[in-house]
Amino acid sequence: MTPSIIDLTNCEREPIHILGHIQSYGYLIAIQPDTYAIVHASDNIVDLTGIEAAQLLGQPISKLLTGTDLPGSTLIEILNVVGRNESWESMNPHRLHLNGKYWNLIIHYYKGLILLEWEPIGNDQNLSINQQLIAQALSEVQSSRTLDELLQNTARRVKSIIGYDRVMVYRFGPDWHGKVVAEEKDDDLEPFLGLHYPATDIPRQARELYKVNLVRMIADAGSVPSRILSKPGWPENQPLDLTHSVLRAVSPVHIEYLKNMGVQASMSISLLYRGELWGLISCHNTSPRFVDFPARQAAKFVSQLLSASLEFRKDKEDQTNLLQYQQTGQQLHEQLLLSDDVVRALTKLPITALHVTGATGAALLFNNKVYRLGATPDENAIRALGDWVGATGTESFLETNQLPNLYPPAETFRAVGAGLLTIVLSRELNEYLFWFKPERIEQVTWAGNPDKPVTVEDDGTRRLSPRKSFAAWTEIVHNTSEPWSEAEISVVVKLREDILQIVTKQANEIRLLNQRLQLAYEELDAFSYTVSHDLRTPLSSIRCYTEILVEEYGADLTPDAQALLQKVIDSTDRMRQLIRHILYYSRMGRSELDTQPIDMRQLLDGIREEIMVTTKDRLLHFDIGETPAIKADPTMALQLFTNLLSNAAKYTQLTTEAVVRIKGVQTDGEVIYSIEDNGIGFDMKQAGKIFDLFKRLENARAFDGSGVGLAIVKRIVNRHQGKIWFHSEPNQGTTFFVSFPVIPAT
Amino acid sequence: MIDVLYVEDNPNDADIFGRLIRKLNRSITYTVFSSGSEALDYLREQGRYEQQKTTLPKLLLLDLNLDGLSGLDVLEQTRAFARTRYLPIVAFSTSDNPKDIKSAYEAGINAYVVKPGSYQATGAVLEKMCDFWLENNTRIDYK
Repeated sequence: MTPSIIDLTNCEREPIHILGHIQSYGYLIAIQPDTYAIVHASDNIVDLTGIEAAQLLGQPISKLLTGTDLPGSTLIEILNVVGRNESWESMNPHRLHLNGKYWNLIIHYYKGLILLEWEPIGNDQNLSINQQLIAQALSEVQSSRTLDELLQNTARRVKSIIGYDRVMVYRFGPDWHGKVVAEEKDDDLEPFLGLHYPATDIPRQARELYKVNLVRMIADAGSVPSRILSKPGWPENQPLDLTHSVLRAVSPVHIEYLKNMGVQASMSISLLYRGELWGLISCHNTSPRFVDFPARQAAKFVSQLLSASLEFRKDKEDQTNLLQYQQTGQQLHEQLLLSDDVVRALTKLPITALHVTGATGAALLFNNKVYRLGATPDENAIRALGDWVGATGTESFLETNQLPNLYPPAETFRAVGAGLLTIVLSRELNEYLFWFKPERIEQVTWAGNPDKPVTVEDDGTRRLSPRKSFAAWTEIVHNTSEPWSEAEISVVVKLREDILQIVTKQANEIRLLNQRLQLAYEELDAFSYTVSHDLRTPLSSIRCYTEILVEEYGADLTPDAQALLQKVIDSTDRMRQLIRHILYYSRMGRSELDTQPIDMRQLLDGIREEIMVTTKDRLLHFDIGETPAIKADPTMALQLFTNLLSNAAKYTQLTTEAVVRIKGVQTDGEVIYSIEDNGIGFDMKQAGKIFDLFKRLENARAFDGSGVGLAIVKRIVNRHQGKIWFHSEPNQGTTFFVSFPVIPAT
Repeated sequence: MIDVLYVEDNPNDADIFGRLIRKLNRSITYTVFSSGSEALDYLREQGRYEQQKTTLPKLLLLDLNLDGLSGLDVLEQTRAFARTRYLPIVAFSTSDNPKDIKSAYEAGINAYVVKPGSYQATGAVLEKMCDFWLENNTRIDYK
């Protein structure tokens, strides 16, 4: 059958554990554990026992050996012993002499059946050699300094044990593609060291079997496999499961693969790391070669030793990294706690966020600002990356070693950021911490083109087949970085918690401060009210009674007493004015803004009239020019211009002909009013104090005033997001400028 | 007949008011109530004044900042009562806070006068007030 659509999952779907055949160098029967009745037998069993497989099916095991020189009871005894101990594999291999030849019997129990497999025995001498090799391998594992050295030495040991032409250590990548990382071979063979193989070369179900059955041998790729026969009706549609079989036949696809490589015999030994397939020791021989069970066991032992060592080494390496990253993370945490400033703690001190991973660049996007450390994409790219991460819906962290494949714009900065690890500080505020790893431009030498697994046969049918050519095919692996380790991820995830804790703490502190501010405002309200009423009332009484004294008893008082009473009256006056101004000042800070367009001509004319009424007998001239409208709170605008114009009037008192010029200019973004007088002016050196509450300039002492008026003006300008500035020279007059934004803040 | 009914809980202010009225020398009659509730009792002929025929003043001069019932409360309850709905009431307050002024008008005050804080100025204001409210103002009287 030719599937209409061919893809590599065909290969994945092949049920290689129930192929229904065994390799023909051995023999298989399967029996029921309670009755020892035969339910499966390999077709070639006749070669071993002289009895056709079909005649054995359904028969008791004693029937099996009737054609041989070995009593059937021997086999039964063996089964009884191993069955009693429930350790079917403890006696493997059991050596049997049968019709003048020695055989290894290998027994295992799986899925309700006992499988018996016979295979030839090798050279007895091997056994002691193997034990020596194992001992050497053990010391090797202890002494090899680097992983490469260890793998290379292991390859050499395995080659000595099994005697194949070529022994390779093949390591799986995270995407299950494989790379030859060590090789021991005969000199005449072409080296495969460094070659990469696509993941499809070893399909998923094969990898699963490698995890269960650690040693796998194909003694002769060219031999014809022997079919497994089943007792009629046993069990319906259920072929024998050969998962643990040592003789299991090889998938035709794999046989073709081997033939293409010129390989006649192969053996693989699994290398596991934490129960997962880490790699394989893959052995090839150009001619058929059988390796007997004890030698395979020795090789398996060496591989287990290596697996254990891998775990130990990798764990140690991970531990060292994790410990180092954790220490750095801890230091960052302390910095965060001490400085209470996330940006400073993460980017400005000797230990930075860059140090918690193996990244070569890090960037913090916080408070709408970008802070970069090491080699990173530019600021715009980082902002765009933040937008993208936000759009991915990432809740806490995101990790990739192929950023450009997820996020195409990253291709422009792959040299610094092909790998990205990011933690989300706030999606709402677009705040992230990023780590970058550069592109690992890797000269990968593929064993064949991984993109072309389908071949077209001469007859035009398409079929899946292993590649015909093993000429090295090179691909530059772009857009990929070193992967992020678990240690790196765990440390940044912890760091995220630390940062969020600080951010939350600060948010809470601000909330508390706000609550306290609210309280303070309420108290200030109450205080203002007290000032406005309760303080002013007794003050009025003092004032009124003093006036009554002067009025009703003035005649009886000496001139000195009269003058003293007048001082009381003046002081109450001054105090009343102060109280009123403080009230205005606080009112200007808190009351709601009711912003609206203001007719400035009307406002200024009104103020002029008021001032003119109170400044009789003076030559005071107000020159009002252009009056573009401003947008402001009417009460506050009135207060502001009243203060500025009264000041101008006040500080021109000594001028014989006082002129105050007021005009407005409208620009694109603002309206600027200038109020120019020809009064006493002031020294610009004192200008810094002019808007301070209660601060008065030296040359203003002779004039009435509380030092609150300009503070009120400043407050009003601030409330409207405006600006105020001035120019003055002593005795040359002063010009104040106030600007209001065209679109006022609400 | 009573000309001015003044609600004022500060005895000094009441005293100064008395002095100034006497100084005007126009035989103006007045009564000072030192609490809002007493004033209300009087105006609505209740409590102490139940079963009595009280005389409505030509002007109710109302301090707004009172202990107990506030000036605003007195104002609202006076307006809610048929007999005194149209009684001329002038607020006489220390506060020049626009908010206070606005709420007084919203509650139905007829005029709002900020206490000047000086004897002479208060005298001048009172003189004008008496002139206007006692001489020129036309009232609706409910008997």
